[in-house]
Amino acid sequence: MPPAEIWIDGLVNSCIYMTMAFGMVLVFSILGILNWTHGQFYMLGAFTVYYAVSSVWGIPFPISLIISGIVIAGLGMLVEKFVIERLTGPGYGMLYVTAATLALIFFFEGAAGMAFGLQDKGLAMVLPGVLDLGSFSVSYQKIAVIIFTLVIMITMYVVLNRTKVGLAIRAAAQEPIAASLYGINVKRVSLIVMGIGCGLAAMAGGIMAPVYYINPFMGRIPMIFSLLAIVIGGLGSLTGAIIGGIILGFLNSVIAYHLSYLSEAVLFLLVVAILLVRPQGLFGAPIK
Amino acid sequence: MPFIDYKTLIPKTVAWFFAALLFILPVFTTSGITLSIFISSGVWAIAVMGFTLILRTGQFSMGQAAFMALGAYASAIFTLQLGIPFWPSFLLAGIVSGIIALILGLVVLRVGGIYFSIITLALAEIIRILAQQWEGVTHGVRGLRPPVPPTIALGGLEINFSTSTVPYYYFMIILVAITAVVFWRMEHSRIGGTFSSMAANQILAEHQGIHLMKYRVIAFTVAGIFTGFAGAYYANFLSIITPYMFGLWQSIQIMMMSIVGGISSIVMGALIGATILYTLGVYLSRLPIFNIQYLLFGAAVVLVLLFLPKGTGLVDLWGKFWRKVFREPEEYEIPEESEMAAE
Repeated sequence: MPPAEIWIDGLVNSCIYMTMAFGMVLVFSILGILNWTHGQFYMLGAFTVYYAVSSVWGIPFPISLIISGIVIAGLGMLVEKFVIERLTGPGYGMLYVTAATLALIFFFEGAAGMAFGLQDKGLAMVLPGVLDLGSFSVSYQKIAVIIFTLVIMITMYVVLNRTKVGLAIRAAAQEPIAASLYGINVKRVSLIVMGIGCGLAAMAGGIMAPVYYINPFMGRIPMIFSLLAIVIGGLGSLTGAIIGGIILGFLNSVIAYHLSYLSEAVLFLLVVAILLVRPQGLFGAPIK
Repeated sequence: MPFIDYKTLIPKTVAWFFAALLFILPVFTTSGITLSIFISSGVWAIAVMGFTLILRTGQFSMGQAAFMALGAYASAIFTLQLGIPFWPSFLLAGIVSGIIALILGLVVLRVGGIYFSIITLALAEIIRILAQQWEGVTHGVRGLRPPVPPTIALGGLEINFSTSTVPYYYFMIILVAITAVVFWRMEHSRIGGTFSSMAANQILAEHQGIHLMKYRVIAFTVAGIFTGFAGAYYANFLSIITPYMFGLWQSIQIMMMSIVGGISSIVMGALIGATILYTLGVYLSRLPIFNIQYLLFGAAVVLVLLFLPKGTGLVDLWGKFWRKVFREPEEYEIPEESEMAAE
């Protein structure tokens, strides 16, 4: 049985994978594509928070988190408008948009490396201190991650189920043509959804900024893991993304405790097995 | 995905002219740097041809670099640890990579679409982690150092791989030529037509009596064999293999080369895409501004995708140019089944 710290780390990882996977699934259910650049929005979000907090104005951490979410949501909308929208539609397969979003990984990493430098940056001065719980202790930064994820998930639940925008998103995800016949602008819904997805990734990066180091390549691993979380949960299922994120975060920490570096191989094998036995994932609808 | 037959658009004289130019290139320059650009482009071109062949069957592999790793490690382990001479172990490397592709293909090719991409991505990562962790055989992240191929005596001519890059260059040309001929023949034979029909409409193809699984496994295995050769060659050329040489980012690079080069012609698209993108990468990395090469590389790929007409790559520009100059009709006849069988 691993010590409590490992379980806490697993919970923190689950939270991040969950938030990222949620955004990716949201984008997938409307646009029908996997946004491979998602991890780079996470990275850019972390940098935005870093520069907002350590700027001359010294913007407080929660506000800079929201700023980063809004800024990166705008960037995501630009990407949707100028790249993704032009490469989807009749005649294009998944191929071109996948290649374009993969190429954008290089673009954003190169841009971040040029603008911010390659050396690791830290934001450890935000929320210092630990919460002593007797036999073990938890840093406030990790508690912030968990609370943040709860808030985000509740907000997303309310937005998707209680507002008109949420209704439009759900309708467009279910049946785009019928939704557009009822007066829903599916293109605008795609823009909004891309903004929400990228904003979530950016805020996840921002909230993780005090816990880990910040560098231009920090987005790659969360990206791969949130992809695996989606696969475990089922492509296109929001519940699946959340459950998949939880499973993957805990598995990653607990298996790594027992197997060290081989743990990733075990996770990948698990994903291959799930895809072979049940390609629609644990919660996805059966594939046609 | 409509596929155009470019056989009529690339005249034999032009093709032979370029081949001859490549063949006498060492007369003009024996500089290792120039030749190594051509050599590396050739290596990636072979891998890209494999990728495009798999794409023709409607599958989108994101782990092609893993087969390069398999070939590279197989050849190095055969020579270093089992003491097999260089040339047999080079051949064995391709065969090992092909056999692994066959076994994996029989299992994973059942799944289609994005799921297949994720499975191949995961398998490639597993191979990378194994190469990194299996210290006893692969020496982990320190990597293996494959030996230089032995000197060949051909009559009065002695081919010595350790003194100059030129023998490697000719070795590469022969390898690319063999691969190109095999893929070209596959593309323009009955099996190539079957592949295209599968990519165009899987369900219809299946209802016409095409066994999808069989052709997918064939494509995957052939791609695996040649990608393995490319990997074995590359490791010998660079005289080092580490787990990070053939990782996820190299698979992505292969994919981008294929799509930028154009998938309407397996051989020409791969050659054009690999040469242009690899050369671009090399020249960009010489720019004085740090990290700008990634930015420009990504931007170049996105711009090519955005501004070429939909569903085409760079190879289609050539087709357009050729049609304009020689005023060939836009719609040209597709050869009859009997003609295709006769060649």
